[in-house]
Amino acid sequence: MMTGEREPPSCFLDEKTFRLCCRLFLQHSESIQDGWIWEQIKGSDEGFMKKTVLVPVKSSLLDKQHESIQAENTELLTDDIEADAEDETAGVDAVCESHAVLRYEYHVLYSCSYQIPVLYFRASALDGRPLSLEEVWSNVHPNYRQRLKQEPWDTLTQQEHPLLGQPFFMLHPCRTEEFMKPALDLAHAQNRRVNYIVSWLSVVGPVVGLDVPLTFSTAVSAPD
Amino acid sequence: MIMADDKDVLRDVWFGRIPACFTLSPEETTEREAEPYYLLLPRVSYLTLVTDKVKKHFLKVMKAEDVEEMWFEHEGTALKWHYPIGVLFDLHASNSALPWNITVYFKFPEQDLLHCPTNSVIEAHFMSCIKEADALKHKGQVINDMQKKDHKQLWMGLQNDKFDQFWAMNRKLMEYPTEEGGFRYIPFRIYQTMSDRPFIQTLFRPVSSEGQALTLGDLLKELFPAAIEDEPKKFQVMIHGIEPLLETPIQWLSEHLSHPDNFLHISIIPAPSD
Repeated sequence: MMTGEREPPSCFLDEKTFRLCCRLFLQHSESIQDGWIWEQIKGSDEGFMKKTVLVPVKSSLLDKQHESIQAENTELLTDDIEADAEDETAGVDAVCESHAVLRYEYHVLYSCSYQIPVLYFRASALDGRPLSLEEVWSNVHPNYRQRLKQEPWDTLTQQEHPLLGQPFFMLHPCRTEEFMKPALDLAHAQNRRVNYIVSWLSVVGPVVGLDVPLTFSTAVSAPD
Repeated sequence: MIMADDKDVLRDVWFGRIPACFTLSPEETTEREAEPYYLLLPRVSYLTLVTDKVKKHFLKVMKAEDVEEMWFEHEGTALKWHYPIGVLFDLHASNSALPWNITVYFKFPEQDLLHCPTNSVIEAHFMSCIKEADALKHKGQVINDMQKKDHKQLWMGLQNDKFDQFWAMNRKLMEYPTEEGGFRYIPFRIYQTMSDRPFIQTLFRPVSSEGQALTLGDLLKELFPAAIEDEPKKFQVMIHGIEPLLETPIQWLSEHLSHPDNFLHISIIPAPSD
């Protein structure tokens, strides 16, 4: 959020700027078919960004030895899925156990209390069974897992989705300001304006398995 | 400033109780029948924090392998443990006869309810609400200036039903610069059961730009105008089981009728059709 040429950008985001950043984000997502959509709440002008990803996993979630392989496969196989519908079906059949394909749903909401965006997500097996916090935890890349445990500001907890009322996992927003500030200050020093949502999601997304392609950083503009 | 009479209001709010009758669901497999269990529930606490005795009572007739996490339902509605008890009652049962009939289950509905495996989950939720409320009232400055032991005191006060211990710390969260006339924004949530949306929460200043103290009526006019229609009166606006006058300043309500989590929880329910 820029208030003037010389002023450093605020680490906070007002709702109007949130929507503008999302709109620009969504435009780019559409152009590269990255799957994000805007979901509007019936009867109100509130809404959120949403993306659903199917994530095949090679082995049981609870098999600790394969965790790092899973994290890599997540990225590879997401691309494969988008490639060819027929192949996708074949691939799913080949690994089909009830927990072998996971459905991850990511939501980007605005928090008026903290004046920042917040990431909510939920994961389920294809048979609809929701993943537990432990299972979700074990799917977090090992590199991030240690950081999450040490830094309370990144805590993953189960929360009620404020607009849908259903159980989701949420990445705690408490210290968003701390990691956004360096990114925003750097951009300001380089006379670049940033799209807050792109910067923010590029940092928090990967922690919970959400990939934000690099083109977002170059192609998406900041709101005027 | 909190005056002498106002302190009575704080006590009445804190010590509000609801008589409840817990019955095990017939869907649960039991070795023998269980008697219903009666309990007085504190309005300001949380179901999973005050029902250890209920659990012990019903576990006596359950087989260990059939026991997942205990949860509660009233007339087909799963009760969200993370909402204060008084809010659940006002929202779902205030116009039904007492005692509040609650059905107990041990097979957990994953899609509908948050897990509550331990008391530390309740504590984390409670503290998270207090922090969010302070973010709205004071940009988080008061809660962040408190030490960890002060935060603990708030939680222990609630857990152990200690009014004085709780308010010794909570009064700091109720202060504001005199020249401002109130908090920066009022922490509130408006609940209703007529739509899927769990609650309405937005930014609302207690004082207008012209310096006028805004009221409950002003808040509702902006966010739920149907609730203040009078002819005919379709809805009741309930806080702690009472219908405050719409002329009540929202700042006063926030200071005196908030829950221990520092939020003003407002339930809008269909008016009973006598």
